[in-house]
Amino acid sequence: MLARLAIGAAAAFVLALGAFGLLARDGEPAPAAPSAARLPELPPPSASTDRRIAVLQAIVRARPRLEQARVMLAAAYAQKARESGDVQFFDKAGGLLEQALQRDPADPAALTERAALSLSRHDFRAGLRDARAARRAGPGLNRPFGVLVDALVELGRYRAAGRALQAMVDRKPDVAAYSRVSYWRELHGDLTGARRAMALAAEAGADTADSTAWVGAQLSHLDLLRGRLRLAERDAREALFRVPGHPASSAALARVEAARGELPAAIARLRRLVVRLPLPEYVIALGEYEQAAGRHAAARRDLALAHAEQRLLSAAGVNTDAEAAVFEADHGSPAHAVRLGRRAWAAAPSVRSADALGWALTRAGRPAAGLRWAHRALALGSRDPAFLAHAGVAARAAGRPAEAAPLLAAARRSPGLSPVLVREVGR
Amino acid sequence: MRKLSVIAVPLAAALAAGAIAVSSGSGSSHREAPLSALDPTADDTDVYAFTAPDAPGDLTIVSNWIPFEDPAGGPNFYRFDDRARYYLNIDNTGDGVYDVRYRFQFKTTVRNPDSFLYALPGVTSIADPKLNIVQTYSVWRETYKNGKETGARRIAAGLPVAPDNVGPKTIPNYGAVAAQAVRALPSGGKVFAGQVDDPFFVDLGSAFDALNLRVGTGNAGGGKDDLAGYNVHTIVLQVPEARVTRDGKAVASASAQNAVVGVWSSTDRERLDVARTARHTKARAAQAREVQVSRLGNPLVNELVVPLGKKDFYNRTQPSGDLKHFGKYVLEPELAKVLNILFPGLNVPETDRTDIVQALLTGIPGLTQIAPGAPPTDTLKINLGTVPNPNPNRYGVIGGDTAGFPNGRRLADDVTDSSLRVVGGFLKGNKLPLGDGVDQNDVPFRATFPYVAPPHAGFDSQIKRAEPQHAPVGPDPSQP
Repeated sequence: MLARLAIGAAAAFVLALGAFGLLARDGEPAPAAPSAARLPELPPPSASTDRRIAVLQAIVRARPRLEQARVMLAAAYAQKARESGDVQFFDKAGGLLEQALQRDPADPAALTERAALSLSRHDFRAGLRDARAARRAGPGLNRPFGVLVDALVELGRYRAAGRALQAMVDRKPDVAAYSRVSYWRELHGDLTGARRAMALAAEAGADTADSTAWVGAQLSHLDLLRGRLRLAERDAREALFRVPGHPASSAALARVEAARGELPAAIARLRRLVVRLPLPEYVIALGEYEQAAGRHAAARRDLALAHAEQRLLSAAGVNTDAEAAVFEADHGSPAHAVRLGRRAWAAAPSVRSADALGWALTRAGRPAAGLRWAHRALALGSRDPAFLAHAGVAARAAGRPAEAAPLLAAARRSPGLSPVLVREVGR
Repeated sequence: MRKLSVIAVPLAAALAAGAIAVSSGSGSSHREAPLSALDPTADDTDVYAFTAPDAPGDLTIVSNWIPFEDPAGGPNFYRFDDRARYYLNIDNTGDGVYDVRYRFQFKTTVRNPDSFLYALPGVTSIADPKLNIVQTYSVWRETYKNGKETGARRIAAGLPVAPDNVGPKTIPNYGAVAAQAVRALPSGGKVFAGQVDDPFFVDLGSAFDALNLRVGTGNAGGGKDDLAGYNVHTIVLQVPEARVTRDGKAVASASAQNAVVGVWSSTDRERLDVARTARHTKARAAQAREVQVSRLGNPLVNELVVPLGKKDFYNRTQPSGDLKHFGKYVLEPELAKVLNILFPGLNVPETDRTDIVQALLTGIPGLTQIAPGAPPTDTLKINLGTVPNPNPNRYGVIGGDTAGFPNGRRLADDVTDSSLRVVGGFLKGNKLPLGDGVDQNDVPFRATFPYVAPPHAGFDSQIKRAEPQHAPVGPDPSQP
């Protein structure tokens, strides 16, 4: 019955616990008497994030001392930011969490939410600090493991991440644990194992339709990398059937269409998507597909927008160095890309940062240095077609054709290779 | 300024607001995998155990999963997790370790893989090919001695799960179709699995918003049933007493040695090695392939007794460890302190609550104690020798009806009110008129197997229901 009480109708229940929590911490009576005004009831999990926000706002106003309600509202704001792309909701969430943590610096729920927020803003070190603090504050809780694993992965600490993840899945195998096992395996090049773990995540199911669709988009992504285009299409279409317009699933379906050479369909789909949610990732893909389809004016315009977005994100305090470095290397100034790549590596020494820096160096005319970084990017055994292509192009330019050939061949075989890289490896 | 196309306008607007977040999708960006604390397919919501009037020689167990199924949930339907193992556990020796387990495993089939539709209109039977997504299941009966498995047998296979009640156009005669999911077990008894009305009734706001009872102390109706109109997935099992008793024999009377058993549900999921190439240590290889992710015995124990930081731990552990892990939280329940703060003058005893320990965990001597000296365990204890009461009292034992909660739990037992009153000190003579103002389920239960009410249809679902106000029900509910 935990589930029923812990979410849905039952923020109220959490609020009762809040009263308990106040008791436990203060050791003396907390709220004087129940207020006559009744709290609004939380809508069920199927309700929209906007509805949850509205109700939680009312609860926080009515019960300002109940930190759990504040933390739940912060989580709802962060979810809204992820759904809408509006970073102002991250700021609102952050403000609430600061308030909650001021009253109780060791509240594991608030620490976990702040860790998740830092990860969303790509401040992985802050995320790791909070995740560890949350683990210490709530050693019996499962939830802090998720942010701990995410922070370790993004910081390139894969062995520690694997250990934390094993502890997580041993404690409670569920959609949160299975989906992280899938990503860890994908990073290590085990695409079949990654697909299996994500299928377990899909079977276990999530608490919201949005999370369920997210799992569907990941299944599609993995099937595309494995060359199973029909399956990849089905995964994405099923997610879109359940959550019409789901952004990640629309993008996944566009990638399948592009992989089949159906560029006009992919372009039309992404165009509809970026009107609603102009994430740089989607805008870049759109621009690249337009480029590949020979629609140069549209491509120039969209890539220019992606460029501006990167700058704005950076100004808004969101660290996008690794993505920005790859984008600059492909579509902008390679010298600037190298700077961004170095910064990315300094902030988060992950295989992703290594790949970005390596590719920037290669494009800046330093393929030997680029290749050394590409080796780091591939050290775990990743089968990411972009990593393989970047390494192959670097090796070829560095005068190592024997090393380049199998890398380029593997990249060429992958239907997940972006059109820009298709051109590069084919050259 | 260059001319912007139709697409570029909203883009530019978003840019001007500085309002673009990081990607949360696939590709090279940081992954934002779900962090959900909720796990609907694994979380047990309620367990009921009773002797049904129409099956006096049998134990009937109703166990529910997947809360808050919205009947109007659109293209999203609900089903059991094919990779999980669902258990109904029985302890007949009183040590908090299962002696008999019924294991349920499900299998989903999509008949037309090119369609995502749950069903086409006009489904007339449970085998109708118009049902596109169907679940079937198998049942195993496992026996244990001192926690060691002594036998496991598949007692049924390929049974159909009752479909979701998606609406009258899709399944015009839903009742007849779902009735085909009631199946006899060859070894005796019956089983049913599928969607039903959530039989629990509670004013969540009233009971859990720091006991913000709506009308006085909540004993006069006027509450709002927050679960009215929602469905759950249920497993209903009815087996002859002899299949679950200590000596394998039927129960002669309520005072017989074998009369009391403890019941709880649990869910296991598959363990996984993060790295598939991991070399297995001996210790690792000896671990079970499954992990328990959820369990439930008495209503409201994990919700109201176990503290926030220990709830995940509770779900991983076995009832045999309850004294060690959670005993102190029962002896000095926070809820008692909260009641005293919110309603000064109630004089709710706050310490040494052996009365609660006995009512829920060790069992009431002569009624629900499995064995003399049995340790405290969170299992729902039922005396199989108790004759069903033709005029049940929703307060059960504290209402003078010894055939109800906490002697098992019938569907109509008002466990929120009786739990509040027990915590209020009822068994120590402090008889307080506490309650949540919701006295009964939103729809009537059935008199025959599977007893729970049919699921609400998406087409005409009504969420929430208000209980009419009535004269206050008394400090002693046996004399209203």
